Amino acid sequence: MAENITAGIGGQISINIDGRDLKVPFNMTILEAARANGIRIPTLCYHEDLCVSGSCRLCVVEIEGQRNLQASCAYPITQSIKVKTTSPRVRRARKNIIELLLGEHFGDCYTCKRNKNCELQSLAAEYGVTEYTFGKEEGPFFEILGDGPVVRDMNKCVRCYRCVRTCQTLQEVSALGKINRGDETYIGSFMDLPLLEGLCVACGQCINRCPTGALTEHDQTDEVWAAIDDPTKHVVIQTAPAPRAGIAEAFGIPAGSAVTKKMNSAIKMMGFDKVFDTNFTADLTIMEEGTELLLRLKAALVDGNKDVKLPQITSCSPGWVKFAEQVSPKLLDHISSCKSPQQMFGAVIKTYYAELAGIDPKDIVSVSLMPCTAKKFECERPEMCDSGYQDVDYALTSRELAKMIKEAGIDLMACPDSEFDDPVGLGSGAGIIFGATGGVMEAAIRTAYEIVTGREIPFENLEVKPVRGMDGIRSAELPITGAVEAWKFLEGATLKVMVAHGLANARKVLEQLAAGELSDYHFIEIMCCPGGCLGGGGQPIPTNPAIRKARAEAIYQEDRIMPIRKSHKNPVIDKIYKEFLTEGPCGHKSHKLLHTHYKKRGTQIV
Amino acid sequence: MPTIEREDLRKEVLAVAKELGSNRSSLIPLLQAVQARYGYVSEHAMQDIADAIGISPVEVQSVATFYHLINTEPTGRFVIRVSSCTPCMMAGAERIMHQFENELGIEVGETTTDGVFTVEWTSCIGMCDQGPAVLVNDSVYTFVTPEKVYAIITECRKAFSGLGAKANGLIPNKRNSGPILEGVSAPNAALKKALGMKRVDVIAELRDSNLRGRGGAGFPTSLKWQLAAAASDPVKFVVCNADEGEPGTFKDRLLLTEYIDTLLEGMTIGGYAIGANTGVIYLRAEYTFMKAAIEAAIEKRHTEKLLGEKILGKDFNFDIHLHMGAGAYVCGEETALIESLEGKRGEPRNRPPFPVDTGLNGHPTIVNNVETFIDAALIVDRGAAWWKQYGTEKSSGTKLFSVSGDCDKPGIYEFAWGLTVNDLLKQVGGEGAKAVQIGGASGTCVPAKDFGRKICFEDVPTGGSIMVFDHDRDMLEIAENFLEFFVEESCGKCVPCRKGCPTLLRGVEELLDGKGSVAYLNKLKSLAETMQCSCVCGLGQSAPNAFLSIIANFSDEVLGR
Repeated sequence: MAENITAGIGGQISINIDGRDLKVPFNMTILEAARANGIRIPTLCYHEDLCVSGSCRLCVVEIEGQRNLQASCAYPITQSIKVKTTSPRVRRARKNIIELLLGEHFGDCYTCKRNKNCELQSLAAEYGVTEYTFGKEEGPFFEILGDGPVVRDMNKCVRCYRCVRTCQTLQEVSALGKINRGDETYIGSFMDLPLLEGLCVACGQCINRCPTGALTEHDQTDEVWAAIDDPTKHVVIQTAPAPRAGIAEAFGIPAGSAVTKKMNSAIKMMGFDKVFDTNFTADLTIMEEGTELLLRLKAALVDGNKDVKLPQITSCSPGWVKFAEQVSPKLLDHISSCKSPQQMFGAVIKTYYAELAGIDPKDIVSVSLMPCTAKKFECERPEMCDSGYQDVDYALTSRELAKMIKEAGIDLMACPDSEFDDPVGLGSGAGIIFGATGGVMEAAIRTAYEIVTGREIPFENLEVKPVRGMDGIRSAELPITGAVEAWKFLEGATLKVMVAHGLANARKVLEQLAAGELSDYHFIEIMCCPGGCLGGGGQPIPTNPAIRKARAEAIYQEDRIMPIRKSHKNPVIDKIYKEFLTEGPCGHKSHKLLHTHYKKRGTQIV
Repeated sequence: MPTIEREDLRKEVLAVAKELGSNRSSLIPLLQAVQARYGYVSEHAMQDIADAIGISPVEVQSVATFYHLINTEPTGRFVIRVSSCTPCMMAGAERIMHQFENELGIEVGETTTDGVFTVEWTSCIGMCDQGPAVLVNDSVYTFVTPEKVYAIITECRKAFSGLGAKANGLIPNKRNSGPILEGVSAPNAALKKALGMKRVDVIAELRDSNLRGRGGAGFPTSLKWQLAAAASDPVKFVVCNADEGEPGTFKDRLLLTEYIDTLLEGMTIGGYAIGANTGVIYLRAEYTFMKAAIEAAIEKRHTEKLLGEKILGKDFNFDIHLHMGAGAYVCGEETALIESLEGKRGEPRNRPPFPVDTGLNGHPTIVNNVETFIDAALIVDRGAAWWKQYGTEKSSGTKLFSVSGDCDKPGIYEFAWGLTVNDLLKQVGGEGAKAVQIGGASGTCVPAKDFGRKICFEDVPTGGSIMVFDHDRDMLEIAENFLEFFVEESCGKCVPCRKGCPTLLRGVEELLDGKGSVAYLNKLKSLAETMQCSCVCGLGQSAPNAFLSIIANFSDEVLGR
């Protein structure tokens, strides 16, 4: 009792779990305390990234002196308690709950994308469920809704509401909500409208956190196989940086292993004609977006142009772009007019590459491998056809490519190493780090600082540590001294930059921007997904902070070993500006092919 | 929708939002205002409400579809809702529904082609002693007979623009009086006395009285107040739970109509004791007919300086607002009620933290039953010793009971705690009953052999609902009716309640079909026990109580059918 009085915020409390005496921080939940001490408690509605719901009740435990069981995920420890994580009552409750959920879960495992990667399936196995004790409801009750990148099969939904918490609280998008009450509750969009017609930005974070197969991406592997199998088509694929740091997880390899070169081999074995590196257009993005920023700075500082909008905000992330179009239609001029690397590559492939390779662009099927579901939406935006064709035909997620590799009978981890294909297969380390939050900023700084000062950035090993990490919003300042003649007007200036990831953080940035609080900033990087692209909605499931951290480390490791680590030093970039985009970055041809415009959507759906 | 109409709607919604406040806690009042104007809340109206408050439209739809008395689809101008609670069903509610169907030429759930009438079932509307009872929009009809059905329809047709909010044929039905119903010694004597005492002494008086919450759970009132009083937050709230929705409970109906002044007095004392300046009465939507009178009573106290600033000349400010519920039994659970006040779905919170620590908008909040506040006023007025002369050691004082079902004199009774079921049956003319359901659908079914049991916290506790069943009643059908209620009223948050209630109901239906085996019954029992110990809130935890006590006490009725 004495301890209860002295314990407070920041203090430690002695508790006992399953006979073990432990000291835990005040207010930590029982679940966290148990996990931190290696004691396993099953969960379903709990997710490390999300606010606590306490609704599935699978994590119930006994607390000595209390009549009822308590959900360990939702029980903060503020007193010295004695906990039992297993007892006859607990065991029966968990089994009964799992059986209730199985009874309402309609759909069979063999035909489910989440077969062998399903939390409900694992729980059923763990608790030895051999029959539907309380009956099995015969469905289907819902039509499968495949009206956009996110496909919903609510027959498989067990109403853990992880997707709703993801959409409403983690991302603050609120396209999904609970409709109705009681057992009639289902997860739906406003008035059951197609998700993209509403506020959905196709980030796919809900898919990553769905414990079952209720939420999946729009599968386009059949279309891609058909293209590969069609001898009249020249099928090329560009692969983004984040998938190579995550795809191995789909083959049972722990997070944090980059398999770029093995993946290249697998892709070729599957029958793709060429495999290119999206890092090339990430480098191109740096050239274009960096130039755009410097031009904006010049316009503002030298020409005194009041119409030019600063800070400039990145445009690589299509989920973020749609979010901004909805939330802040008046601030769209802050967003760089550069297309994302995927779309730049799409335009380059069906123009520059087609020309070099002597192939009619109508015969090219341009596929991209992305960590992202919003890329499926992006490549179908009507303005994305500057090559005269749809610039990118299919955007595959990491999960879809993993599925294709498996279907092809290829053992990814046994594949030999191979390089990307010429002539646009070369990317820099600056391109690779686009996959992690802060990466675009770091890449831009590596190039812009050097262009402006003629010197390398003053960071050891080119690592701009202040913009790295997983804090939701990060700021950094970079004083500029010794500017070369062309950029003398920046002499003595301090470049102020900001990095945000996850749309809840993006919303905060937009609010600050609207309030005029960011007027002294120059450049802001915003990524839709927590962790940046490596945490994208198309990456292998599951996701959590530890997995994202491991993927980030893999990405930074790839950067470290790259021979070229600065976008402007990429010789292919040099070449394309010499041969094709001859007016240089932000020139007329660049504007036609590599830049875009945005739509003032607002939030009114009906 | 034509652009002009669309723009008009938007303007009107934004204007109402301006009046009611464009914050999240105005969401439900906004939905109600829009519904009052247009008959339902259309998708366009939901969009406009969302924009006014600054939330997403699906969040508005999520809240709107949670509450049964908010329609997101067009309904008839008059929505006729027949109460489906056990006493009303026992009194012939099904025949009433059938007659409405016959008169209107539609089936339950449908709307007449002229768009005038919709008819549907609703959960208990608090008229169990005067059933069958019907709610038409905001007006109540009691003692409805098949013949009266025609009269109700005719009245609606004549009252083209609406019926207002009246209680037709409602009688107080006060059957006896004890200290509570006799009232305070003089109006506001308790408040005057309290404001002359130290705050801690007010709470000490309550502690000495052993007053326990009258909603059913019986938590010590003084402890709740003391915890809230000890909180350092300068903003605190006093909330009166007038969301009486437990089937068979209607005693607050009497207190809210005839004792409203004492309630307001008790809440003000509560505010003084814990250091709050704001009180809220959360009134169930089915009691809308009381709204005007309650608001008038609040206003009157304002003019008499019993509410507002410097109450009775003392350095104490306190105000009370009325907040209407929207049709959700679960909002009688205190954390669900708070969620509802905040403009959200009425889903109970995980506890801890408790409302006394983190309540309305995150501030310390006491939520007490109507009767509890009135009892508190009485105790301050006459002292703890006077109160303790009634009742038992652990259940001090008297209690109001809502008696319905198979007895000669249904109505509202006041008894000291500790009387036996037999004593009670004698008083209400229910001798020879087969069983008595104590505590409503979430309470316990006491069979005749146990009628010697005492009604009090030590033995059979109750929030006041007493339903008497005679020998013709099929107990399994009673269990079915209760479970139908819980299926209808479960919020859907936690799995054991959301799935458990329909699973138990299906089980009872199979037993009714004569398909029960002991093995199956045991599985249902195990499930029911899981619900009791693992649901989030008291609703879910108590949902299987009646089922368990019925199968325990009437196993020969349940099996072998």
